[in-house]
Amino acid sequence: MSIAARDRLASVAFLLPTLGLFGVFVVYPIVFNVQASFLDWNGVTEGTTVGLSNYSTLWQDPIFRTTLRNSALWIPLTILPQAAIGFLLALALNGPLRGRSIYRALFFIPAVLSPVVIGIVWQRILDPSTGVLAQASRETGLGWLQTGVLADPQTAIFGVIAVNIWTWTGFSMLFYLAGLQLIDKNLLEAATIDGANPWQATWRITLPLLRNTHLSLLMLGVIGALKTFELIYVLTQAGPNNATQMLPTYAFEQAFRLQSVGYAGAISVVLVVLAVGTSLGMTRVFGSGFLSGADR
Amino acid sequence: MKRDRSQWWHLVLAPLAVLWMVPVIMVLGQSLRPVSQPGTILFGILPAAPNLSNYALVFEQNPILTHLRNSLLITVPSVLLVVMLGSMTAFALARMRVPFKAVVFGFIVLGLVLPMSGIVVAVFQILQTMGLYNSLVGIVLSYSALGLPFAVIIVRTTYLAVPHETFEAARVDGASWWQIFWRIYFPLGRPALAVVVIWQTMLSWNDFLLPLVVLESTNLVPLTLVPLSYRGVFLSQPGALFAILVLISVPVVLTFVVCQRYLVNGLAGAVK
Repeated sequence: MSIAARDRLASVAFLLPTLGLFGVFVVYPIVFNVQASFLDWNGVTEGTTVGLSNYSTLWQDPIFRTTLRNSALWIPLTILPQAAIGFLLALALNGPLRGRSIYRALFFIPAVLSPVVIGIVWQRILDPSTGVLAQASRETGLGWLQTGVLADPQTAIFGVIAVNIWTWTGFSMLFYLAGLQLIDKNLLEAATIDGANPWQATWRITLPLLRNTHLSLLMLGVIGALKTFELIYVLTQAGPNNATQMLPTYAFEQAFRLQSVGYAGAISVVLVVLAVGTSLGMTRVFGSGFLSGADR
Repeated sequence: MKRDRSQWWHLVLAPLAVLWMVPVIMVLGQSLRPVSQPGTILFGILPAAPNLSNYALVFEQNPILTHLRNSLLITVPSVLLVVMLGSMTAFALARMRVPFKAVVFGFIVLGLVLPMSGIVVAVFQILQTMGLYNSLVGIVLSYSALGLPFAVIIVRTTYLAVPHETFEAARVDGASWWQIFWRIYFPLGRPALAVVVIWQTMLSWNDFLLPLVVLESTNLVPLTLVPLSYRGVFLSQPGALFAILVLISVPVVLTFVVCQRYLVNGLAGAVK
């Protein structure tokens, strides 16, 4: 056997376990969803083929439109504040500040907590009658603190988005701290000597140099937004009246509560297409090697 | 001089950090709020008469240690699998000639974007076919598959940063692929692996959806599922519910604290 052939065989041996797991738990479920999406099927008895009718029903389903609207709101309204606050925290905690590792830990802790914990505690904070904010509003007379944000279908999604920002800002902070480490300090010093003030140095030098960090966070943010399930499942159960429904929660409800596995399959297919499409689109547009596998 | 000025940040950061921690403080506070004296202070965040009775109650009512063991039996193997298989895959993709590399990357992207809720019906059926329904093994394998893409991406970038000369020299010396991977690259990937460990621990410790669907026996249920399974019971015992939330959180927070030192450097190497 030639050396090249032997090397290729060795590489397959390194990859085989991973590819096996992907085949069973990633590729097969996608094939399964595609197949199911052409069926009228309750998941137990034999399904009947209905062609594309699940997709055409989906297209006219007002709840499906709500999920799309919610994703469209969720993506910018979580990614931008998380990036902005995370970046400012990273700037503050990159310097020689006493106790900075304690601050870092405190801001990151929400990200490691289970959505079960986060959902339950925020329910208690935002409850319109007995919640922390409602009590604070009564005791201080600050009426605006009293919010039924999660109870009102118009505002519920913004309440969930706010909780999501609280959860993940520390994660953005950590990414920016990592990005800041890679910036050559001489560049910033040279700029200061040339008369740039700290604001200019940050805006003109630090921010552009963090391009790859912004892109990684954008990518993870979009994927994370489309995948959102747990927080909504615990915090609002997709209510009130489906106002906080997202694609994954809607797919789950169709499959497990309404036994429409075919319809759920169609929702999941749309979800995967959207997620893959945006990821590939972003790597195309920004030319980031983050996902593309380019060696740079 | 410069050092002194930077300490002004405390004026902004300290209040912000306290505000940020309110939900966490509240979880702790509520867990210490006894049923017999439910009075609270600070708008309901802290109990007026804190004690540990809820923890005693929770351990009496539930086999907490069994649930804890189940969570560990799910999390530890999946973290080990992802660390090992993720590093091997990353090494192959960074340094070896891989046939159909683009296809492999396609799978990785698919795995990264796939939500648990979208595959749970299919996984339920696969696990039934494989005889892994109502077993922790199936859960471990699913979590590993879903966690691998992130691990591969992060570790591979770190491996690409290792100078090629190191690799060439080892090849010339006749080292096998496995030796190069295991003796040189794997140890150099340690900072990135800190990130992987945290990420995978979060994924497998915190998920409740898959156990909800594929576990039948109560004695296999992990800790995160307990608050959801017994929602009704906890309505009359809010303190006990929060005590369980604290028990769920402590192990992940501890893992984070242990890995924290390496996290920033690990990410810096990985997301260049």
